[in-house]
Amino acid sequence: MATGGVVSDLDKGDVLGPVEYTLSPFVVREYSHAVEMHHPCFQGREGDLVMPPTLIHLDKLRLYKHACPGGTGPSARIHFEYNVEVFEPVRVGDRLSVRGEITDRYQKNGRDYVVLQMELTNVATGRLVVRYVDRVILAYRSAEKAA
Amino acid sequence: MHAEKLEPGSEFSLPPRPMTRERMRWYVDAQPTIAADDGRIHTQEPTIHDDDEYARKQGLPGIIADGMISTNWILGLLIDVYGPDVAGRCKLRTKYVAPIYEDQIVVTRARVTAVEPSGEGKACRLDVWCEDDAGTKLTTGEATVFV
Repeated sequence: MATGGVVSDLDKGDVLGPVEYTLSPFVVREYSHAVEMHHPCFQGREGDLVMPPTLIHLDKLRLYKHACPGGTGPSARIHFEYNVEVFEPVRVGDRLSVRGEITDRYQKNGRDYVVLQMELTNVATGRLVVRYVDRVILAYRSAEKAA
Repeated sequence: MHAEKLEPGSEFSLPPRPMTRERMRWYVDAQPTIAADDGRIHTQEPTIHDDDEYARKQGLPGIIADGMISTNWILGLLIDVYGPDVAGRCKLRTKYVAPIYEDQIVVTRARVTAVEPSGEGKACRLDVWCEDDAGTKLTTGEATVFV
């Protein structure tokens, strides 16, 4: 169990969250604006907005903040892989619950890899709406020295 | 829907974009801004995406783009081609196979690889990727959209 410390200490089996929040129009529009997705479904009227499937990646930071109050740790993370499956639309105003679990931590070529699986559930319906697997490389600097 | 969107071998792309310092910073600033969700801009500590000195301390030659920018550009292309329903049901996997440095030209592409029956509609499978102006792949992946 490595929760309660820093992100770089997270280990296989650690559970992050769950954390609940309500999806706001500001979040959808602001995120989409930052990545130049100017489609009406992301930057239009409130009733037209849906959650970009990529926004789940920021729920990872929500879970980190909740589970790792010590912050990032000694080294920056390098995001290596994004893998999402969206089962149904997530709309502004939906109450959501996100939960994560570290499903693997391993070394390859002198670098530490951490795999986080996250599930986003609609609180009102209890339905799984998004499943996301995130793979990061930790300790990029020490890996470079080791190489 | 135009037949070519469901024709294996069909390719789609976005116009080339330089990965400017500003584009990298927009994503950095979006993260604390979205976390706060109060309608105001927030900033965060230096990152490898917006601070050269910090990036060099982490073993990098300078700032690099957050991988989620290229993933979002791929998602934007899929929505351009297949419409907003992609945001409500899809699969998307991306890997960041090479760093994207400041002012590097990025071309976002997708190619239909297969179309199969799925429920009452079809599942369209695609290879998706971002490449530089020499054709070197920077981000690779696969997507499935349901039409």
